[in-house]
Amino acid sequence: MVNLEAKLGPLKLKNPVLAASGTFAFGEEYSSLLELEKLGALVVKGLTIKPRQGNPAPRIVETPAGMLNAIGLQNPGLEVFLSRELPRLKYYQVAVIVNIAGDTEEDYVTLARELSGVEGILALELNLSCPNVKKGGILFGTSVQTIDRLVRKVRQACNLPLIVKLSPNVTDIAELARAAENSGADILSLVNTLRGMVIDVTARRPFLGNITGGLSGPAIRPVAVRMVYEVCRAVNIPVIGMGGIVSVKDALQFFMAGARAVAVGTANFIDPYTIPRLISGLHAYLESENLSSMEEIIGAAQIV
Amino acid sequence: MLSRARVMEITEITSNHYYLLLEDPQMARESLPGQFLHIRIRESLAPFLRRPFSIAGASPGEGTLQIIFRLAGEGTRILSSVRQGEFLDCLGPLGSGFKPLKGPVFSVLVAGGVGVAPLLFLARTLVQEQKKVVLFYGASSLDELIPVRRFLPGEIEIRRATEDGSSGFRGLVTGLFEEALKNGLKPEEIFACGPRPMLQALAEKNKGWSYPMQLSLEERMACGIGACQGCAVKISKGEETGCRLVCRDGPVFHSHEVVW
Repeated sequence: MVNLEAKLGPLKLKNPVLAASGTFAFGEEYSSLLELEKLGALVVKGLTIKPRQGNPAPRIVETPAGMLNAIGLQNPGLEVFLSRELPRLKYYQVAVIVNIAGDTEEDYVTLARELSGVEGILALELNLSCPNVKKGGILFGTSVQTIDRLVRKVRQACNLPLIVKLSPNVTDIAELARAAENSGADILSLVNTLRGMVIDVTARRPFLGNITGGLSGPAIRPVAVRMVYEVCRAVNIPVIGMGGIVSVKDALQFFMAGARAVAVGTANFIDPYTIPRLISGLHAYLESENLSSMEEIIGAAQIV
Repeated sequence: MLSRARVMEITEITSNHYYLLLEDPQMARESLPGQFLHIRIRESLAPFLRRPFSIAGASPGEGTLQIIFRLAGEGTRILSSVRQGEFLDCLGPLGSGFKPLKGPVFSVLVAGGVGVAPLLFLARTLVQEQKKVVLFYGASSLDELIPVRRFLPGEIEIRRATEDGSSGFRGLVTGLFEEALKNGLKPEEIFACGPRPMLQALAEKNKGWSYPMQLSLEERMACGIGACQGCAVKISKGEETGCRLVCRDGPVFHSHEVVW
């Protein structure tokens, strides 16, 4: 018997394949295409206290085996999330993780406090890594001191399992991962997008309205796998790995690097059925390898 | 819905435009003028994203959909080499379509370049509703003009403009249209699709004209269904101005609502 259940510290998921924040919105758009309850969890679009309009167009540009985006955290805000989006997510019976973002430490603390104890939320993911907003986001996630302060404050403000999402736009991700662990994170997720730029040579200016954007897709996968490998050596808390996962083989790389779960992002845009396909693919993999659970391969590629 | 549509025909119709006929009975039944298909050009990672294409026609009886596309880059170049009998991974029909007025009103369509594609579909449905339809259609030159007559019933009048004057009116299609208004043309509703500057020019002029005018917009998009929030356009409704999505809230918007 094959068991795909995933245990990530205080968090128990029916399977280890999540929808990454910002790629599944609040689930509604995909609900007519697939059964949301099959997802390991849905990490909703980065939520802020007040609604946000996001960045000027163009917000997206294709790149080799990937894309740049600079959405700028467009979202309906906390109030609408609680009154409209969360009840619908409950109806679909999908495991919900709320990604929270803010301009100030106080924003994160307020969101954590307001969401703590709300029925139907499994965990919070702290977005310390959005590269596309002027304030907050990545600014909190690139130094040990800011991570430490913010995670401690949020930890005190809520009792939900706390995931800290790390940015790859740093010199030593392991050091920041340790800082998050020491200040109270239950789980780490990585990587967010890599900052990049495309220049429109006809117009002789940056293509994106925001000038820079975040690179995602298979183009970043080797970077992401390396970072998950390094972080898993540096910390004892569970890791959710992501970055360019399209196929079962891609996902296996992250598990073997040490991740206890994976998230799928950009691939959802090209194939909305990527997540269900990966779930059944992992199931088939375990069967064909005579393994009973993912536990047996997690970290298998770590060189001692 | 996601479907594998069969390629029934792929034909070069100008030196850089192609006609693609797809078979998919359900999509053909559900498609409305103004909606689009989000096509995965190849199963490989290059090109990486799907490409949105306006639906240029749908025949529920035959279970087919028409696409007209321009060679604009790598994606469309690869699409142009697809063969009859192959299958294309299509998401759609997506977006909300044009919303014509009820009754036998006089409808004017203004098209720039390959923006004519969704208007061909619309024109045929308007004629079925006993409306009088005139199509103003512009391109840069004669070589760029798609032979649109073969896609339209005879009763639809077509007026052409080319920027270099190689066919029809010399100048932009908006110039041709304005001239017609001066000469007494009295449209009761206008639908337009084409390059952004053309649509912007029409929308600005329409502040004075105040015709019911709907525009089909284009923006870079990834998912096509509203999840990635990539294809934002600023829309102003009453007191409220905010970002809407071309893929889900559009691609068709009222001209007075678009913030340029």
